[in-house]
Amino acid sequence: MDIQFLYSLITAIFIGGVAGYLGSLMITKRMALVGDALGHVALPGVALGLIYGFNVSWGALPCLAIGIFLIWLFEIRTKLPMEALTGVVFTASVAIAFLFLPESEISTALIGDISQIGLGDALISIILSLAILFLLKKIYAKMVLINLSEELAQAYGVKVKKYNFIYLVSIAIIVALGIKVTGSLLMGALVITPAAAARNLSRNLSQYSYGSLAIGLVACSLGTFLFKFWGFPAGPLVILVATFIFLISLAFKKR
Amino acid sequence: MTQDSILEVKNLEVFLGKEKVLDDLSFQLKKKEILVILGPNGAGKTVLLRTLLGLLPFKGKISWKKGIKVGYVPEGLAAPQNLPLTVKEFFGFKGFSSQAIFKSLKQVGMGDSSLLEKRLEALSFGQFKRMLIAWALIDNPQVLLLDEPLIGLDIHGRETIYDSLVKFWQKEDQAIILVSHEVGEVCKKADQILALNKKILFSGPPEKVVTARNLAKIYGYSVSL
Repeated sequence: MDIQFLYSLITAIFIGGVAGYLGSLMITKRMALVGDALGHVALPGVALGLIYGFNVSWGALPCLAIGIFLIWLFEIRTKLPMEALTGVVFTASVAIAFLFLPESEISTALIGDISQIGLGDALISIILSLAILFLLKKIYAKMVLINLSEELAQAYGVKVKKYNFIYLVSIAIIVALGIKVTGSLLMGALVITPAAAARNLSRNLSQYSYGSLAIGLVACSLGTFLFKFWGFPAGPLVILVATFIFLISLAFKKR
Repeated sequence: MTQDSILEVKNLEVFLGKEKVLDDLSFQLKKKEILVILGPNGAGKTVLLRTLLGLLPFKGKISWKKGIKVGYVPEGLAAPQNLPLTVKEFFGFKGFSSQAIFKSLKQVGMGDSSLLEKRLEALSFGQFKRMLIAWALIDNPQVLLLDEPLIGLDIHGRETIYDSLVKFWQKEDQAIILVSHEVGEVCKKADQILALNKKILFSGPPEKVVTARNLAKIYGYSVSL
C-alpha cells in the first residue's frame, strides 16, 4: 500500500466518521439540507484553492464563515425563513465561483479529489476531526434537549445561543473538511446519508449517533478502497457506498 | 423578602413586541404553597411562567429565594417523531441511574420497568405528559412550575398526576405554581388563586375568591365548581 493512498484513506475515515456523527444531529434538527447548501456556499473558496494550489478546505472555511454570517444578518433584517435566505446565499456563491473557476478544475471542485493529500493535510484533518468529535460529544445531549424544546432546555440553564453557535461552527468546519473528500456538490450526502441509514437501524439515541459515525466511517473507507481499485473518483464512490448502506437499512427498518 | 417566602413579584410588566401582555402584577409565593393561576386563553399565563423562569425580558421585580431549584413542565410539548430517544436516555440528560428513573416514574403512576427502554414517540399522550412531570420531579426541585398539566388527559390520567403532585407537595418546603385555563379540582387544593387577564382580576384563597361573580370576571359568564 503506497503512503499517498494511506494518507487519503486515513483522512477520509476521520472526516467521514465525524460527518456521520454530526449528521445524526442535523437530521433531528431538520437541518439535513443545510450541509448540502453550505457545501455550495464554500465553492468560491474551493475554486481559489484549486487555482492557487492550496488545500481547498482552507479556502472553504472563510467562505463558510462569510456565508453563515450573511444568512444570519439577512435573517435578522428580513424575518424571511432561514432556508430561503440560505437559498439566496448558496446560489450566489455558486454563481460567483463559476466566474473564475477554470474549466479543468470543475470536476474536482464539484466532486472532490483525495488522491493528492499530503502528510500535513492529513494530520490537520485528523486533529480537526477529533476536536470536532470531542466538541460534538460534549454538546450532543444538550442539542437534543434544545431540539426537543428550546424553552425546556433554557429553563434548565442550557445556554441555547451558545450551543447553537458551537454547533454551527462544527458544521462549517466539517463541511470544509468534507469538501476535500466529496466535493461541494456531494458534501450534503456525507452528513445526511449515514445518519438516515442509522436512523433506520437504531432503537435508541446512542445506537443512532454512533451508528451514524460507523456508517460514515465505513462508507468513506470502502469508497476510498474502491477508488484505488477502480480508478473512479473517490467522492461519488463514497456517497454511493453510503447510499447502498441506506438501501440495505430499509430492509431492517426498526419501528 | 420574608423568611418563608420563596418568590416575590412586584409590579411586573412584560411586553411581547410592542404589546403589553402582563401589566402591574404583584404576588408572593411561600414555602409549601400551591398557587393556581387561572385565566382565559391568551391571558398571559404561559408568558408569566416563562418570565418567572427568566426566559423573557421584563420590567419590575422578580426575586426568587437564593439558590432555589425550580422544576418546569411546559405546555404543548410533543414527543419527537424524528428521534429514537428512549425514556432512559431522556432522563440520562440529567444524569440519573435507571433505579432513580424508575422510582420517579413510579411516582406518576408509570411503574412498569419496560417503559425505560421505550422510545418517547411510542408513549401515549398521557404517558408522555406524566413522564415530563417525573422528569421535572426527579431532581427534587423546591418549586414546580406546571403549565396546563391536566389538559387532554382522561380522568384516570388526571387523578394519577393530581395524586403525584399532592405527594410532591407534601414533602417539606416544596411549592407548586400551576397554570390552568379552567376552574376544576386543582383549585380546591390551592392555597392561593391568582386570576389573570393581562392584569390581576382577583387573588386570594379559593374559598374566598372562587365565587360566581369573580368567575364571571374571567370567563364573562358564571361557572360553578
